[in-house]
Order: sequence, then structure tokens, then C-alpha cells
Amino acid sequence: MPVGLQAPPSLGMPGKKRWAMVIDLRRCIGCMACVCADKAEYDVPLGVWRTIVKVKDTGRFPNTKRHFMPRLCNHCDNPPCVRNCPTEATYKHEDGFVLQRYERCIACRTCIAACPYNARHVLPGNRDRVKIGGVVDKCTFCQHRVEEGLLPACVQTCLGRSRIFGDLNDPDSEVSRLVAQHQVVVLKPEKGTAPQVYYIKPERVMTEQVFSAPESYAARSDAEAFYRHNRGSKFFSGVL
Amino acid sequence: MFEFMEYNIAPWGGEIPVYFFLIGTAAMVFVYAAAPAVFGNVFGGVARSMEPFQRLGMVISLVLLAVCGPLLIMDLGQPGRFLYPIIHFHWTSPLSWGSLFLPLFGVCILGFLYGLLRNQAGLMRLTGILGALLALSMPLYTGLDLMVNQARELWSNPTIPLLFVILSISSGTAVVAVVQLVRGQMNAQTVEFLHAFLYLALAVTLALFLAEWVVLMYGSEEQQQAWQIINTRFGLEYWGLTFVVGILAPLAIVATPRLGRNPALLTLAAVLAAVGAYTFRAVFIYAGQLTQIYY
Repeated sequence: MPVGLQAPPSLGMPGKKRWAMVIDLRRCIGCMACVCADKAEYDVPLGVWRTIVKVKDTGRFPNTKRHFMPRLCNHCDNPPCVRNCPTEATYKHEDGFVLQRYERCIACRTCIAACPYNARHVLPGNRDRVKIGGVVDKCTFCQHRVEEGLLPACVQTCLGRSRIFGDLNDPDSEVSRLVAQHQVVVLKPEKGTAPQVYYIKPERVMTEQVFSAPESYAARSDAEAFYRHNRGSKFFSGVL
Repeated sequence: MFEFMEYNIAPWGGEIPVYFFLIGTAAMVFVYAAAPAVFGNVFGGVARSMEPFQRLGMVISLVLLAVCGPLLIMDLGQPGRFLYPIIHFHWTSPLSWGSLFLPLFGVCILGFLYGLLRNQAGLMRLTGILGALLALSMPLYTGLDLMVNQARELWSNPTIPLLFVILSISSGTAVVAVVQLVRGQMNAQTVEFLHAFLYLALAVTLALFLAEWVVLMYGSEEQQQAWQIINTRFGLEYWGLTFVVGILAPLAIVATPRLGRNPALLTLAAVLAAVGAYTFRAVFIYAGQLTQIYY
């Protein structure tokens, strides 16, 4: 039984909505339109992301393949970020969204440490147009759009209809049908977070911890440079 | 073409291991300084050897706390909201409990000092007992803060809070030993008292170090990845500074009867153990986050 949430999980609860996303990886072409739409919707600053598309090449010429893996907050039904937040700035909405109260966040980054999906980031403190800064931010499943009857920005713009959004408690919704008819996979199910982003046909290089690590020299050297730069000093001195 | 990843970054930097180290040290220094009032007649009154250290020990504990508090506040993205964990208390977050216990611990130090100056044994005993419990909660909550992250498998381990308590004993003993040695008050009883604590702390640290080793080598894929990260990026800190300098060397000193009772060598062993107490925490905090950015 989840503890420390502000609303109980709504999955399977009659009369309640449980918003969820299905990502059909057979349809993703890696165009990054979802990333751009999200950046535009929220004026997401450089260096941080609400959603990403992870790219990975496998094999050797001529037997090669490029894999794409859209990633975002999994709006878990048992979210460790909510449980660990010391101020209840992160909370569970009754319709399943995991949301952030900016006015209450102290940016202690406990939620970032708690998230298994690397879905959270700190907004810079010195932003020009949007004045929300110096706090932790994350994907909201575009709650402001969904409550107006619109689709999330990333779903609206997805060229191949790889991202499908809907109410999992509605048996007639497309997401319910896809989850019922396909062998869907969630990320890190063993963590007990009950994630609500379902993937159709992901590759293990994208879902398993050890295999998903960067292999290319560029990616690894980027990671090392990033770590060297931030290690031993305030991690966010260049961001906040 | 390319393989790339966006790194939503490892959240806790250098301030956190420094804070964990200092608050653990402050806590154990308090326990030592309050020991005559709290454990005065236990074990034949051996804790009374700390009586000359009481006032200075409380001041040191207070100074360390005065460094820790602002350090933690400045690490926040919103330092002005530092009271929010108490105002908007969330009972499932160890950080909320820590934020509550931290100022209460400070109040106990001040209360004990007041009782010491006014020679009020009752107040000293009360604040000593409460303060010792709160002191225990300081390294405990810092360990719990890591342990509750089930997504970080290097941290999600019930031995971490215990390890942090044990490491705080090592670093606290180092402060007491250095201060008492400099003041020329390392008499036989003090040496015996500190030796017992350091020996115990080092033996348990070694046991936990070996336990972690086995757990990581035989662990899940994330634990194996963490083990690889520790050995490649933190090999010097983990094997050199933590295992050899921070555990084996001081343990060899305190386990040798003739060396372990020598005040200068005991102080050296305690300082080495404190170095290990810092690097052990730092490696775990950094390496525990790096598996996150690889996923």
C-alpha cells in the first residue's frame, strides 16, 4: 500500500480517471518533435528536459539498428518522489498526475535522487520570460491541456502516432485497448513504483540498467566531462 | 550517426557529504561531552574521564552545527524556504524529520551549556539524554535519507543508517582525541575510553565494508554497475583512503595493545578513521547517483 501520497492510486477505481500513456516504439521515427513541442509548451530552458528521446545504435555494419526510446515522467501510482518530498511540494493528483507545487519547492533535489527514471530537473533561477526558477520541474502529462479536453503537447505533435494518451480506467479508450492487446512493458517494474507509461516492443538495450549505459566514446566522454565539471562543487552553480 | 543521452543530472554535490560528515561529528562530540552527565556511573564511571572536555566539547558541537545548518540551507535552490520542511511537515520524508531534529539538537546543546555554566545537574542530565537521542538521529536520518531511495540500489540498503552512525563515532572520536591531546589531557582513563569506542567503531566499519563488498559483487545489475563505477572512478578513494587509510591502518594501531594505548598513536588512528569516515560517505553518495545518469 503506497504511503505518503496526497491521493490514493486511481488505477481501476470506478468513477475516477487514470491518465496514462502508451508509447508504441514500432512507430517512433526519432524526429524529436515531442521534445520540441514540450520545450515550446513550457519554455523549457537549455540543458534540461521534461521529455527526451534516447537514441542508441547497436550492431556492426551491415547489421545495425538505431533504437529510439521516448522517456518522460512515468506518473507512477506509487511515486517515490512524492513519498520523499519533505514539503509535499510534489503530490499525487486524484486523476493520476504527479505534479509539482513550485511555490512550495525548496529544491533539495530529494525527488531527483528518488526518481528511478531520471525524469526530474532543476529549473535555472535566472530565466527571462517565465519567472518560475530555482525549483524542481518535471513532466505534468500536460495537466492544464488535459483538463481542457486537449491532448498533451508531445502526443498532439507525434508524427507517427507513437505516443497515445488516454484514461486507463475507461475500457473503451485507445490506451486501454493497446494495454490489453499488446505485451506492454513498463520501466523498472521491480522498483514497485507502478509506472503508468507503457511501452510496446522496447529493446533491452533501452530498458535494462546495464545495457542502457552509453557505449559510444562521445556519450561516455560527455558523461565524464559533465561529472568532472560538477564533482566537488555545487552541482547547480552553473544552472541556478 | 550518434548515440546521445541527455543527462538530467546527479542532484547532490560536494556539500552533502561534507554536511553528513560534519553533522555526524557534531553529534558524536556532543555524546562524548554529555557522557559524564548521562552515563556518569555506568561501567565504573569511565565516562567521567570526559569531564574536562564537557564545556569545550559542547562549544565545538555548537560550532559544527552552526557550520552545518547554513551549509545545508545554502545548498537548497530556495534557501529562503528553509523552514518549509517543518512548516509543511511530511512524515514519510526523512528530510522533514531531520529538519525538525536539527534545531532541537541545537536547543539541547544550548540547554546543556546553560546547565553547565549554572551548575544545574538536573538540566544537564535532561538535555544530555534528549540531546544524545537527537545526536543519534543526526547520522541516522542522513543514512535514512539515502536508504529510502529504492531506485538507487547502492543506497537502498538497511545497513546505510547504521554505517553512518558508526562512521560518526569514528569522526567524533577523532575530534575529541585531537583536542584532548593538544590540551595535554589524554590521561590513561581518557585513552581507555576513546580506545574502546574507536576499536568498536572500526571493527563494525570493517564488517560493514566487507558486507557491502559482497552485496555489490553478488547484487543486481544496478549494484554491479555501481560496483564498477566505484572501482573505476573512485578506486583511490574507496580502496586507498577508505579501506587502507581509514579502516585497516587505524584498526592495526588500535588492535595492537602497546600501540593502541599510546595517546599520540591513538589520536593518529582516530584521525585516519575520520578520513575514512568522510571518503566512505562521499564515495557512496557520488557513486550511488551515477547509475541514475546511465539509465
